[in-house]
Amino acid sequence: MTSDGSVIEQWLHSCVRCSNCKYVFREYFPSCPSGEYFGFETYYASGRIWLAQALYKGELEWEPSLLDPIFACTTCGNCEVQCLAPHREHIVDMIEELRARAVQEIGGLPSHIRFRENVVQFHNPYGAEHHNRNLVETHSLPLQAETVYFVGCTSNYRETQIRDATISVLKKAGVDFTVVDEYCCGSPLIRTGQLGPVNEAAQHNVDAIRDAGAKRVVTSCSGCYRTLVRDYPKLGIDLGVEAVHITQLLKELIDKGTIVPRPNEPRPIITWHDPCHLGRHMGIYDEPRAVISKLPVDLVEMETTRENAWCCGAGGGAKAAYKDWSVETSKKRIEQALRTGAELIVTVCPFCTRNLRDGSSEDGPPVIDLTELVDRFI
Amino acid sequence: MVSLKEKFGRIVGADRVSDGAAERYVYSRDMTENPPHEPQLVVMPSTAEEVQQIVRLANEERVPLVPFATGQSVGGLTIPQVDDAVIVDLKRMNKILNVDEEGMYIVVEPGVTFGHVRKYLDENHPSLRYTYPISSPFTSVIANALLQGLCDLSTRYGAMAEFINGLEAVLPTGEIVRVGSAILGDDNWFGRFPLPDLVGLFTGWQGMTGIVTKMALQLWPKKPFTRHFALFTFGEFMTTDLLKQIARGDLAEDAGALSFSVVKALIGMPAPIEAIEGEPDYGTFLTLSGITSLELDEKVRVLERIVDRSKAEEPKNLLIPFEAVARLMSEEAYGWVDFPSDSFKQLTEYDGLTWMGTYIHPKNWGEALFKGRRIVEKYGYELMAFLKPMKGMHFCEFKFIIRFPRDDENLKKVRQCNNELLDLALDLKAIPYKTPVWSARKLHERADPNFIELVRRIRNLLDPNGIMNPGRWGL
Repeated sequence: MTSDGSVIEQWLHSCVRCSNCKYVFREYFPSCPSGEYFGFETYYASGRIWLAQALYKGELEWEPSLLDPIFACTTCGNCEVQCLAPHREHIVDMIEELRARAVQEIGGLPSHIRFRENVVQFHNPYGAEHHNRNLVETHSLPLQAETVYFVGCTSNYRETQIRDATISVLKKAGVDFTVVDEYCCGSPLIRTGQLGPVNEAAQHNVDAIRDAGAKRVVTSCSGCYRTLVRDYPKLGIDLGVEAVHITQLLKELIDKGTIVPRPNEPRPIITWHDPCHLGRHMGIYDEPRAVISKLPVDLVEMETTRENAWCCGAGGGAKAAYKDWSVETSKKRIEQALRTGAELIVTVCPFCTRNLRDGSSEDGPPVIDLTELVDRFI
Repeated sequence: MVSLKEKFGRIVGADRVSDGAAERYVYSRDMTENPPHEPQLVVMPSTAEEVQQIVRLANEERVPLVPFATGQSVGGLTIPQVDDAVIVDLKRMNKILNVDEEGMYIVVEPGVTFGHVRKYLDENHPSLRYTYPISSPFTSVIANALLQGLCDLSTRYGAMAEFINGLEAVLPTGEIVRVGSAILGDDNWFGRFPLPDLVGLFTGWQGMTGIVTKMALQLWPKKPFTRHFALFTFGEFMTTDLLKQIARGDLAEDAGALSFSVVKALIGMPAPIEAIEGEPDYGTFLTLSGITSLELDEKVRVLERIVDRSKAEEPKNLLIPFEAVARLMSEEAYGWVDFPSDSFKQLTEYDGLTWMGTYIHPKNWGEALFKGRRIVEKYGYELMAFLKPMKGMHFCEFKFIIRFPRDDENLKKVRQCNNELLDLALDLKAIPYKTPVWSARKLHERADPNFIELVRRIRNLLDPNGIMNPGRWGL
């Protein structure tokens, strides 16, 4: 990064638009949900990079027609995996910086502005009544504990079965944990270039975790995990404790024999969807598979998997601003899942769970979270 | 009043046409030093019939059209040359329509790329192969054939246009026509002869004579026995002499020679790469094959004999099996010979990439390289020559690749460098390929004026309203 922190400036003369970002290397499956749907060159990573560079250099003036190419991207990071050029690890950062500049210059998208206002007012993007700390009473949790379960807004206000399954598993495993008065981690705001309220929310979370006397934070949300581990340090926020994803903790608990999955017959066939925020953004592919391998299920992988996995379509503010495209993207993933013959689609991200379900037909395989699956068998 | 955007939207769907600032900017330029020029609209058809309606509307409205397949040309060929142009982005026409095993051809649409053809053949017709260039894997197969590019069978069979069995195009006046044997039906794309060879009305014309919507291209049986070698050589004249002998001996399916700097880039040396005194000047990747191991072994023996003989003049010439290269460089090296497009990543260091490439008489090949090298050195760019014996040594190819940051200083310098390289090439009667407009104009100055006039007449005949890519090729 350059002295003013601009990753766009750092890579101002990179990207020939060779199109490698558009397809899985040597497999030639489409990799970019945005480009695949909208089609114009501007909706692929390479087009966005050229826009970012042009706006930075002043070759292009800010105007509202730029908003769609800039924001219709799930920031899934598949382009970073496929790109072979020197800037490859920085594409998502460039897009996020471009978005922050867009918000500054011409304002963001209305749906994004709405959830920013909700985060400021209600501490979650859904505008739901803030009730996180009630979980302490509901589940008889201590006020202080070694581990803080950072629930995340989507698990707490939309996909509550993930929250409940996680709490159940942690209890069955005898983990000393609690929940704190958490605010939105800031992920939806960072992904959509609305950085203004992020630091305050982040600092609140740091204080709440410290006040709980915790030594580590575990989260069942891939977006929260990415944000706590990768974004907070970039924002100058020191979490002060180790942050782990639930898949890492589950693997540890199974490896130690703390939780022992029961045998079950017949073994259901499942397929696994790698969440972008956990996989491509954080490099965690093996832990969930290690957990699944200990469960009484048979895993059949989809045709695009691990770092090449097709995105569910929900991330980067896409679900809020581009519903049709978001669900179309999810449908493509569901089609891949159906081709495996799986009876269950398993993932470990509340956004992915939600959107994959939205892309499924009623008679299709159910979409569940890995915590739910583990909870069934322990 | 209905706007032009709405009229195009009625043909392709409103979400497939854009006049947004982002699209106008990105489609106005490419990776080369060629000056940008904004279109007024970008439109994305998905069928030949939609292309036909677009062309008819363009005639009614007198709107210039610029075809765009995947945008990988290194010659500014999709940059509009006039105001108010409409880019016709063909990437949605991406179907592989047919592979005829017996006739050994594939029929594709313009959005089909080399990578997709490669994968499709490997999965469905593993006994057949197409031919692949050193370009992005996501280059349009049709565009490359129309632009007469080169590939990894060119040493034996020539430029890619030679692989065309026939095509379907929307003429500038809106008719859909076929040329080649498929004039007798869909399952009959076996060849171009014996007919008036009208494929030539579309190859080399850079989209001035219509929009090609379908093309049949020759496939080749994969030989069961194949070996790859790397040949390291010194000096332009000695290298080209040696390559001529190898090509005339019909030993190699492919012989792609690269400046040693490119070889160093392939093994991961960071840019900028400098030539070091005493290192080889060129590394040539050779592919030899045979129906039997005996045939292959004999070809290898002849190749070794030719290289050994060359050592009388240059003892350091070195022929090594590709296995040694792979051990030295990485297993990835096999990708470069198996699918040369994979090595294109070495050319993506900056946001700029250009080359001045030509086809040239064999007698002038060595001189062109020798003098061209001095020009590139003068401008301080990396030595990245690429040369290939073509069509059994009937002609040759050379180009100097320049990867560069597209800042003002480099854009100016690259233009000067390519200008000098072109002057040199034209002095040696080389024909530039995939010519940007400035390059075509220089060719016009030296070419037989009756030829240029004939080109102009044919174009006017086919396109009375001048809607197809006006200004292209300096016309």
